Amino acid sequence: MLTELSELKTEALTALDSLTDETSLENFRVAYLGKKGKLTAISAGMRDVSPDLKKEVGAKLNEVREAITSGLATRQEALQSAKDASAVQGIDITLPGRPGLGVGSIHPLTTIRDLAIRTLRRMGFVLADGPEIETEWHCFDALNTPTDHPARNERDTFYLNDGRLLRTHTSTVQIRTMETVKDLPVRIIAPGAAYRRDEIDATHLSVFNQLEGLYVAQDVSLADLKGTLEFFFREIFGPQTVVRFRPHFFPFTEPSFEIDVKLEAKGKEARWIEIAGCGMVDPAVFAAVSKTRGDNLFDPENVTGFAFGLGLDRLAMILHGITDIRHLIENDTRFLTQFS
Amino acid sequence: MKVSLSWLSTHLDLSGRSTAQLSDLLTFAGIEVEGIDEKGVDSNKIVVGQILESVQHPNADRLSVCQVDDGSGSPRQIVCGAKNYKVGDKVPVALPGAILPGNFEIKEGQLRKVASNGMMCSGKELGLGDDHSGLMILDPELPVGKLFKDLIQPDVIFDLEITPNRSDLLSHVGLARELAALTGLPLKGLRDHTKTTTPAQPGTSNLKLEAPEACPYYTARIIKGIKVGPSPDWLRQRLESVGLRPINNVVDITNYVMFEMGQPLHAFDAAKLNGGIVVRHASAGEKFRALDGNEYTLAESDLVIADQSRPVAIAGVMGGEESGVSDTTTEILLESAYFAPSVVRRTGRRLGLHSDSSYRFERGADPMQVQGASELAAKLILTIAGGTASDTLQFAGAPPQLVSEVALEEARMHRLLGIPDLKIDEAHGILEKLGLEKRSASTDKSTWGIPSYRIDLQRSVDLVEEVARVVGLERVPSRNVAVMGTGDAADRSYDQAMQIRHALVNRGLNEAQTLRLISTAQLTDSLGTLTPTNVAVPVKNPLSEDHTHLRTSITPGLLATAALNIRQGNSRLRFFEMGRVFLQLPNGTSREEERLALLVSGPIAPMGWTDADPRAADVFDLRGIIESLPGLGGIEIKRIADNDTFLLNSEIRNGNRVLGWIAQIHPARARQLDARHPIYVAELLLSALRQGSAGHAKFEDLPKFPSITRDVAMEAPADLPAQKVAAYFSGLKEPLLISTQVFDVFADATGTRLPADRKSLAYSLTYRSAERTLETAEIDQAHARILAGLEKAVPVTIRK
Repeated sequence: MLTELSELKTEALTALDSLTDETSLENFRVAYLGKKGKLTAISAGMRDVSPDLKKEVGAKLNEVREAITSGLATRQEALQSAKDASAVQGIDITLPGRPGLGVGSIHPLTTIRDLAIRTLRRMGFVLADGPEIETEWHCFDALNTPTDHPARNERDTFYLNDGRLLRTHTSTVQIRTMETVKDLPVRIIAPGAAYRRDEIDATHLSVFNQLEGLYVAQDVSLADLKGTLEFFFREIFGPQTVVRFRPHFFPFTEPSFEIDVKLEAKGKEARWIEIAGCGMVDPAVFAAVSKTRGDNLFDPENVTGFAFGLGLDRLAMILHGITDIRHLIENDTRFLTQFS
Repeated sequence: MKVSLSWLSTHLDLSGRSTAQLSDLLTFAGIEVEGIDEKGVDSNKIVVGQILESVQHPNADRLSVCQVDDGSGSPRQIVCGAKNYKVGDKVPVALPGAILPGNFEIKEGQLRKVASNGMMCSGKELGLGDDHSGLMILDPELPVGKLFKDLIQPDVIFDLEITPNRSDLLSHVGLARELAALTGLPLKGLRDHTKTTTPAQPGTSNLKLEAPEACPYYTARIIKGIKVGPSPDWLRQRLESVGLRPINNVVDITNYVMFEMGQPLHAFDAAKLNGGIVVRHASAGEKFRALDGNEYTLAESDLVIADQSRPVAIAGVMGGEESGVSDTTTEILLESAYFAPSVVRRTGRRLGLHSDSSYRFERGADPMQVQGASELAAKLILTIAGGTASDTLQFAGAPPQLVSEVALEEARMHRLLGIPDLKIDEAHGILEKLGLEKRSASTDKSTWGIPSYRIDLQRSVDLVEEVARVVGLERVPSRNVAVMGTGDAADRSYDQAMQIRHALVNRGLNEAQTLRLISTAQLTDSLGTLTPTNVAVPVKNPLSEDHTHLRTSITPGLLATAALNIRQGNSRLRFFEMGRVFLQLPNGTSREEERLALLVSGPIAPMGWTDADPRAADVFDLRGIIESLPGLGGIEIKRIADNDTFLLNSEIRNGNRVLGWIAQIHPARARQLDARHPIYVAELLLSALRQGSAGHAKFEDLPKFPSITRDVAMEAPADLPAQKVAAYFSGLKEPLLISTQVFDVFADATGTRLPADRKSLAYSLTYRSAERTLETAEIDQAHARILAGLEKAVPVTIRK
């Protein structure tokens, strides 16, 4: 029986060497160690072994079982680790990733508007809003624009059949806000669309986007205007930005200024770029508002304020180097995805 | 307005100031410099030369070797590439050492091994116009060696934007006055524009003002025996330098005086006038042929200068063709008058007729220089065109008083300007420099007389502006005061809109922006409106037929966007846009509504090696995007009528509330856009999204006990909306039922596995209790109850 066991051991370990897959290993286990396996069959012969040999045969039986079991385990482990190694075989990690649904993009105009809004909100401005279909009173009269001013021209301004118009600037929101607020100070910004009867070309759209700002309180001066807008434009264009205020004329502010920032274009000398209009609210505007309110909250003798307005399309074009404003409304995906 | 530096320099000495310094000076006075054009070259090395000989260059086909007489006595050899000259022509010659525009220095040298000692110049090379076609051929009478700069004086032309309030700057005198005030330079021998040496006499019989509000003051002067002809060179050059075309000496002089003093004048051919002048409103329908050759039909609001039989000029705008000065004119009536801005503006606007004259009257001329301008023009006419002027200036009416005293309040000034070191004396000094006259002053207030040309100075704040303008913002300290702002609805909706944008970008959508003005044809692409033409707001004066209405929906714009991208070869379309639409209400008012619009079409993902041909988007991709929007609660779909643009046309609802619309673009419409894949669109009211997102999300305890699911399959009529089954489930009051999920939909059009008019729906129902682990029996009971109810509530058969 000892011989039998030795032969079985040799046979099993030899057979194990040629096995390369899980199924054959399982078959091997059944064939040798299973209930009807060869080792089991031999061990059944223990009953007939003489007592003096029992110890020796038992030890041999254990040794053979141990050898086969551990041989099988080693083999199984080797097979598993070969399999684990092959799990990443053939994966070329240099290939590009899965695109999923693709990457979308926020419109550059939105991005710029949001930058402006976030900056101004940090300075305590809150948002305000007003209709785009406006009365001539809100768009012109209340903003101290003379009755026969060229801007009221049907050549320059879109009118509706009922005499209302499409607002030519977001300055209407100044009036809308002052008409309705309950207390001072007023410190608002109003982003929105405005309309002018311009032929669409590389630098003009008939519908464009502005951002209006208004701060009214007891003692607002040019110093506030200057501090606020310098800070704002340095936040937008960078801390080193040089800002200048040129005297100008707007009917609804006095004094009025245009704001230029000095910008460098690629490979060119730095140039002053006109970026916004601003000024101290004209007392006539406060007078108009007071008249409709019927109270003294905006008494021109008591309150002062500043207002500013800037073109967001233009700002987006300057910041992104966009050469044709029409790109902003055509939505060519090749354009939009440049801003993802 | 174009302004000549050389002309300006006749009034004050600006030498020693560079063009850039002058430009800054103007800019910070509030006069925007839109362009600077440097003309001619101020050089002693450019002379008139005569070409004595020209032979072919031995080494270059295109060049010639010329001998040129430069006045020095010995011929100068110059190699030249131009072909437009002949021997004997006189041309500008730049001698070695001359510096041409662009800092280009002329040197002695060789061209293709032949000596060339100078350059013969084109007009462009000398900063004169754009003519680069050849040499500038000069007058053959000019003496050789004459300095070119004496021939054509170098000049700098500023193109200025004068703001509409500053009509006083629309002339060289006006600008000189302003620059003198800003620099402190004295004005050189400037005539006092309000004084005149000719006695004036009321023109009682031959000057009649019938509309004194529109024309309060009119003067006329008769000049006889003149000879109309071309203007002298100096006058032609002056006019040409500011962009005017010389016509004849009389007309040129009136234009010259206008650009000199800002007062428009008009000269009539006195022989063509029939009797005295009447300034009156036109009669309706009256016809008038103007100097521009066009016939205008006048209205009663137009003011005309008429003789006894017909209008001879539209007041302040343009003279008539018949009565204008021509070569045969010998006697003129010279008009100088004041016309009210509103009248000139109205007529100019109505007729679409604008002139240098109307430009000035519209903004407001200075009535006090009417006589002075007439006198300057008369003097020039007598000198240049000869003739004799009448002894007196005839006039009617009187110059209107447009300015009065204005007070400067010190406290107001400080409050507005916020310049701590600004002393009142400095402010007064500024006003005085600007020509204002201090009438009285107390501790906190002073009153000022305003010059007649400063019609913009009417209120106290106008004087403050003058001080601010001259002091400049440099001296204003920058102040930053933090003021707390309480955000309201506008702030919240902005934040929400940005949140929605980011959510959509994360799903691979591109934000678009389209025009809010669309064409009548595009109206039928409106989503969410069954009768877009009824509710669209039309523009009364559209710019083109492409932009006739305010949009009632964003979809028309997104469809145009889709079409553009398809034309560019892009079939994967994923767009969204947020913005306003405009709806006409039955009561005549309109509503502006903020919406979100979505459009998807074509491959859902970009092509890649993992999927070379991603499937095309379907309506459920779009619905999935909508369901993922932040702030949107549960939605239901209600089908509405399809039309030529939309199939699957449906309302997106929550109960009775309409939140938006979803549809597939009709294949016929999609084919018009050359779409290769179905296009799906949706619009949502932003207010609807806002309602779902009120307040902060509230935490719920995590479940402590396991959940169990039970599946159910059912057969239903093919046209039964699955939403009805879902509605039954969500309406149940079964405390153990936590959620339901449809996980299979099956139909077989061939009828083999299921009758063609039937479909199979499979749902997974999840049960859980917050208090205990559920027993199988209680789940079975609840499940059976729910299924029994389902078969009663909805026409389905449970498949066992």
